[in-house]
Amino acid sequence: MASFIVLTEEQQRLQREAPPEAVLRCLTSELGCLTRQDGSASLSQGDTTVTAVAYGPAEVRMARERIDRATVEVVYKPKVGLPRPVDRKKENIIRNTLESAIMGSAHPRSAISVIIQETEDLGSNLACCINAACLALLDAAVGLNFMVAAVASAVMEDGKIVTDPEKKVEEKAVAVMTFVFESVDHKLVSVLTYGKFTQEQYKVCRDLCRQTAQSVFAFYRESLEKKLLKTV
Amino acid sequence: MADKRVGNVFMPGDVLEDLQVSESVKKIVLGPGLIDDGNRIKISKPGILRFREPGIYWIDCHQKRYVPSKGDSVIGIITQKAGDIFRVDIGGSEQASLSYLSFEGATKRNRPDVKVGDIVYAKLLVANKDMEPEVVCIDSYGRSSGMGVIRNGGFLFNASLNLVRKLLSPQCALVKSLGHRFQFELAVGLNGRVWAKSKSDIQTIAMANGIMASEFMDNNQIKAMCKRLSRAVSGMEVE
Amino acid sequence: MRETPLSNCEKEFILNNIKEHRRLDGRNAYDYRDIRISFGVSLGCCHVEMGKTKVLAQVSCEVGQPKQTRPHDGVLFVNVELSPMASPAFEQGRPSEESVELSRLMERCLKESRCVDLESLCIVSGEKVWHVRVDIHVLNHEGNILDCSSIAAISALAHFKRPDVSVQGEEITIHPLEEKDPVGLSIHHMPLLVSFSFFLQGKYLLVDPSEKEEKVMDGKMVIGMNKHREICTLQVTGQNLLLKDQVLRCSSIAVTKVTKTTELIVQALENDKQARLRGEKHGFAEQISSEKVTSNHWRETQVKVKEEVMSASGGSGAESEDVDSDMEAGSGDSQTDAARLKDVEPNVDIVARGVGAIGEGGASRWLDLPKTTQTSKNKGKLKRSHPEETEVKQEYDEDSEEETQTVLNGVQ
Repeated sequence: MASFIVLTEEQQRLQREAPPEAVLRCLTSELGCLTRQDGSASLSQGDTTVTAVAYGPAEVRMARERIDRATVEVVYKPKVGLPRPVDRKKENIIRNTLESAIMGSAHPRSAISVIIQETEDLGSNLACCINAACLALLDAAVGLNFMVAAVASAVMEDGKIVTDPEKKVEEKAVAVMTFVFESVDHKLVSVLTYGKFTQEQYKVCRDLCRQTAQSVFAFYRESLEKKLLKTV
Repeated sequence: MADKRVGNVFMPGDVLEDLQVSESVKKIVLGPGLIDDGNRIKISKPGILRFREPGIYWIDCHQKRYVPSKGDSVIGIITQKAGDIFRVDIGGSEQASLSYLSFEGATKRNRPDVKVGDIVYAKLLVANKDMEPEVVCIDSYGRSSGMGVIRNGGFLFNASLNLVRKLLSPQCALVKSLGHRFQFELAVGLNGRVWAKSKSDIQTIAMANGIMASEFMDNNQIKAMCKRLSRAVSGMEVE
Repeated sequence: MRETPLSNCEKEFILNNIKEHRRLDGRNAYDYRDIRISFGVSLGCCHVEMGKTKVLAQVSCEVGQPKQTRPHDGVLFVNVELSPMASPAFEQGRPSEESVELSRLMERCLKESRCVDLESLCIVSGEKVWHVRVDIHVLNHEGNILDCSSIAAISALAHFKRPDVSVQGEEITIHPLEEKDPVGLSIHHMPLLVSFSFFLQGKYLLVDPSEKEEKVMDGKMVIGMNKHREICTLQVTGQNLLLKDQVLRCSSIAVTKVTKTTELIVQALENDKQARLRGEKHGFAEQISSEKVTSNHWRETQVKVKEEVMSASGGSGAESEDVDSDMEAGSGDSQTDAARLKDVEPNVDIVARGVGAIGEGGASRWLDLPKTTQTSKNKGKLKRSHPEETEVKQEYDEDSEEETQTVLNGVQ
């Protein structure tokens, strides 16, 4: 729901003084870390770690079969407890994002499944999940229209903007926004926001995240190159 | 003449513009991983761009899951007998059908001796994205030409599609090096399944492990590995 | 998803080799695969690898009511999750028979052996106790998930620390981790499960079966034991009949295995404790070896921000460090763009007004906040109340389409 917040002069000035920081925490990935799946990837952004696997194109249950394209199934597994509605919401968002990326028309009446296991949630978990899912799909060599990269950013009380926030920062933030971009035209694929923010802040966050997403794409490229060219 | 970019790694979403081709060639064939999008060529899978004369380009990607393609020779496992056909698992998204008449010398009275759980070496007759795949164990002349049920022991194991293509490629030294040192029978299915049988079980296991280990190796490493392998095996057999 | 069926050829091959005391991976009959135990950054998170089988365990706690029959004890809950991640044969959703059996075995091993002191988890007797929950997720199934899960569970329990509690009369304070150091659970002993698989009418026995061996086995025996040679659990399943001396032989094998594994767990816990004390980096990201072809590591990246973005917040401009530099030029918002706004009309037709519709449809006017209402094109019913009219930049963004779409559904 859009809420219209108008800033006072003072607030605008404060926002101007604090330059936005675009920092991407250190990335570590391992492709093909699991053996029974078609593709698997374990990705760490800072301390947040996510393991994702992809199967496909594989058998699909009759009820879920689509005659013109592949069915994309996403399962998100939280570490503690049984899956709750908030996990289902994450699954929906990730599935919608991946459905646009996956070339489904090449494999009708089959299923492309992505299963994501939360390993450590220490900030920008959704972004890490989407990135790990994309890496798993790349590892499985599923046909993709484009790659997707997600970056989160947090708006703090004083107007400061932090990209790829840690959990402590996220908890104190006024708003947290996760943007997903695609690799061809750098257009926005998905957004999920929590909290309230101004249009200015939204635009700044979006642009910062777009630029940070380029680093994520470069990371994917390097990881795949390393594996394919077999150079260390 | 291959394009300059052959040998580079490309990612999904990348675009290839002005793909070079020699003058004498009238058409370019775009293989797996390359999609024709109007006047541009888009890449759909991450991999290395490869070229073969006269004008075939494709993306060599690292994949484990098999997608049925017409004319491929595959190893399937019989999962069900349903009336006139067998259901064969070839590793794709759907099980393939194999008619009982598609064996050499099979007639309505003379049914082939095939049980559930047997492995067959078959060729894909029908394979496209909209239809259920169909395999046969005879060629167009009605002869088996090496296809049919694989009997008498041996060991079946899985490999990635790259490894399987590597095994079959004439440039790869693996089969030759193994052949210098072991006596064996090998059936390679393009769906990532390999069946091997050697003089003794120890040799078979050693060979299977050797093949699986050579996934990321180049020719020199493969030759060295085979040497070590044969030494280890002969050591084990003496014991 | 369907799993690849086991062919007769493979089955016969494995059984023939077992008859000759050979295993496919070259192990001996009583050998375990290599075990690797690692801990995460958060407390109570443990990842165990046994060969290629991988299991993740997480311990968590919350305050709740005790059981009616045991008002002075805390509650321990164990859950094993088998998801399609581990193997294509597992289905997501209702727990399958196998997962129920695994959960039950783990519960028996951990709860009924009283390895965790539940009395120390009592806060207010009869009213408030700690509920400790162990969630075990199987990541990769290459055989023997039971042993791997039990190692993960007990390591996670030993690694876990619960928040400190102080009770003053009627008041109970649960101290957050920043205030007071968390307290570990008191573990009396470490029971571990050891699986034995039997083949060919119980004649041959293998320890730590791999996935293919599990498919051809006749029956299984599970012994839960700790390093003091006390048996906590014993279960025999399958279609084999065992002799007494076979059971005794298995328990003596289990003793050696459990002793070695317990040493490994203690060593891993110690390493993790030292790493934390010294302030070294610890956690799963550190475990990934950078020497592998399939792994990749990037240090923290400072993305230099493009000039247009900086001017939006008024900071000093810097060069862009983009790898792909073909960015949309209209992503920034500056005074120059404001001038363009007046020339460009949104070229979206306003669709017929529906009855009872809110707004008018058409292009996004989210940024279109005029100073006075006369210049506003908004004739719709939605009234925007602005008590303070302040300077709002008139900006027209080229990529307004992005503002209206939140999620791009798969369009082919």
